[in-house]
Amino acid sequence: MHHELYDRRVIFVVGKGGVGKSTVAALLAVALAERGKRVLLAQMGPGRRLGELLGVAVETDAPTEVLPGLSFLTIDGGMALAEYLALVLPVKRLHRLVVTSKLYHHFVAAAPGLKELMTVGKIWYEEQLESTYGRKWDAIVVDAPATGHSLQYLRMPEAALEAFGPGLVRREAQKVVDLLRDARRTVVCLVTTAEEMPVNETAEIHTQLRDRLGLPLGVLFVNRVHTAPLTPEEIPALSGTPRLVHDVLRCAREESGWAAINRRYLARLQTAVPLPTVALPFLFAEEFGLREVRALLVHAEGQLAALPSVVGRDA
Amino acid sequence: MLGSLVRDHRVVICIGSGGVGKTTTSAAIALWGALQGRRAVVLTIDPARRLADSLGVASLGDEPRPVEPSVLACHGLHARGSLAAMMLDQKGAWDRLVARHAPSDEVRERILKNRFYVHLSQSFAGSYEYMAIEQLCVLVESGAYDLIVLDTPPTKHALDFFEAPQRIREFLDRRLVRWLVMPYLSQGWAAAKAMNRTVGFLFRKVEEATGIAALAEISDFFSAMSGMFDAFAARAQTIQAILHAPTTAFVLVTGPEEQVLTEAEFFSQKVRALHMPLKGVVFNRVHEEFPADPAMFPGGTVARADEPAIAAAMVAAGVARERVPWLASNFVDYQLLARGEALRMEEFRSGLPRRAPFVSVPNFDSDLHDLAGLRRMHRYLFARTEHAPEPSVAWPEPAQARRAPLEPSASRAQPTLRRRTRAEKPPRSPRR
Repeated sequence: MHHELYDRRVIFVVGKGGVGKSTVAALLAVALAERGKRVLLAQMGPGRRLGELLGVAVETDAPTEVLPGLSFLTIDGGMALAEYLALVLPVKRLHRLVVTSKLYHHFVAAAPGLKELMTVGKIWYEEQLESTYGRKWDAIVVDAPATGHSLQYLRMPEAALEAFGPGLVRREAQKVVDLLRDARRTVVCLVTTAEEMPVNETAEIHTQLRDRLGLPLGVLFVNRVHTAPLTPEEIPALSGTPRLVHDVLRCAREESGWAAINRRYLARLQTAVPLPTVALPFLFAEEFGLREVRALLVHAEGQLAALPSVVGRDA
Repeated sequence: MLGSLVRDHRVVICIGSGGVGKTTTSAAIALWGALQGRRAVVLTIDPARRLADSLGVASLGDEPRPVEPSVLACHGLHARGSLAAMMLDQKGAWDRLVARHAPSDEVRERILKNRFYVHLSQSFAGSYEYMAIEQLCVLVESGAYDLIVLDTPPTKHALDFFEAPQRIREFLDRRLVRWLVMPYLSQGWAAAKAMNRTVGFLFRKVEEATGIAALAEISDFFSAMSGMFDAFAARAQTIQAILHAPTTAFVLVTGPEEQVLTEAEFFSQKVRALHMPLKGVVFNRVHEEFPADPAMFPGGTVARADEPAIAAAMVAAGVARERVPWLASNFVDYQLLARGEALRMEEFRSGLPRRAPFVSVPNFDSDLHDLAGLRRMHRYLFARTEHAPEPSVAWPEPAQARRAPLEPSASRAQPTLRRRTRAEKPPRSPRR
């Protein structure tokens, strides 16, 4: 049950808002941790979804171990910048002078892209970290923000390369770009649901990542797939039945309706997004937490093991 | 339930996290306005292609495209007003903004060719939000519409969106520019250092970090833009005025899932903190909880253990035996899911302003991306109570509910829960 996805150092999980990126990111992180790896699960930018999923009450600005071998971190661009400046300006007084100055706050709030650059930079920094046992993290799983913002984050290091002349930022940006493009270390996984809008957006982001950003692409996860043994047409008519039977048939109609939609868009994904695909079932769970993530992982593992070995190939 | 909200407002801004049906809801609201006689326009970010097609505006562009009355007539709809749709074009909008405010052709060209500007307008995060709000401003000022529905970017960065005007102003702050650019241009580094130690130090660091070229570019950008600052500042004020106008309504669009609701809470707190209160909440894709016959389900709700009894009832009604197990287990799945959703929605609701109308739209059995789908939504978005789905449930109404406009789906939830959540709130102290 091994897949080369698990050999990458950095896995970005990208997709439209609301399709279950956090779920897939958590699933991959749990899978890696269960293989005995030291895993960092990093959430880019604000938001509470991933924290809720892991049962962590607050956003954490330092890696916090939430499960054996699995640490969680929320990366805030402003914080990452302050941290970065502390590295560049080792003299404490100077650092404090800069960070507390009004101009700095104006500049940071206003300078477009700076926070994004620092966020991606922080992931690079964590990737490089050494501990007494070698690398601090065996793998970093990144829960990226909704598509539009993800692209902006992933594009920033390159944009910085173009925008800045030779200097420190340019050198740093180059290192980050090198990491992002290195198919041996990095892989970008996509998440979608099998419905019209998410599928259209996923096809678009796939093209952008492959052709414009040249990033190594991995697996497409299709989340919340409904299945039903009956098609909508096979469900008996609703009229004239007792109340309970009527309600039961309505639920069946709803489920088989969504199953039909999912089937149609899974077929479209095969041509629109030519990546090895893992389908995750819709779970009828009253609450969604780690237990549900583990249940989905069981579905994912079987499919991953059967996937062709194409992860990280050149696009 | 959103009827009066739409009637009493000129601008409706739909907010919420991604994937909850904001675009569809926005389109449904604008269509309803048009049917009611308004000159309506929907400004969208990310239309479903099928929706754009069905409106006959396949090529949504950066200008409002009218939806032909004949397209509506095909669906048996006769708009007393009009409907238009447009899609946000980020690149074009920045260029038009510059073109509109540049004092001369020469300045305009200088800005448009500036490398810093090119990146600012195309690559950098946040500019999407600037542009959405800028377009809203243009539509309001045009006077061509009396109902403008804005579908906001699908983003966790709600902050960016609402604070965009403020950020534009800060970014282009005259003082900031004077600090950052003028000494560099006029007096050079020595003067900057003498003026302010911190600034001088930061300048040196910025220059080291970025390389001179970038700073010179930025300086050039700012000096070219300097003639436009007043126009931008005035713009930011106009935008603030629109966002805070009594005729502007914020509507939160969300779903009933746990994680989505966590974010919805964030949005709701955010707009309240910015003094732009929510005037409505739409729950999309809600699984319907059917009333359970107490004779058959003693607890009043359907449980997993009821599957055999349900299956037996199906067989008795003449449903083919081999289909019954799935039908029964699927029903229990749905009802358990629906119960969880109802409880979560009720809890969410207890934290909202009392008077905000609260609408739930069912999951249906297909996704809604065409005119017929929008009409289906109207039944729930704009229904009076008596048209609402499955109104036969006889939950006792708590006395207080009559004061707040309650949705039937919400009134179905157990009243005990609502009473408990109210009781948990600290009593208002009659301190003088």
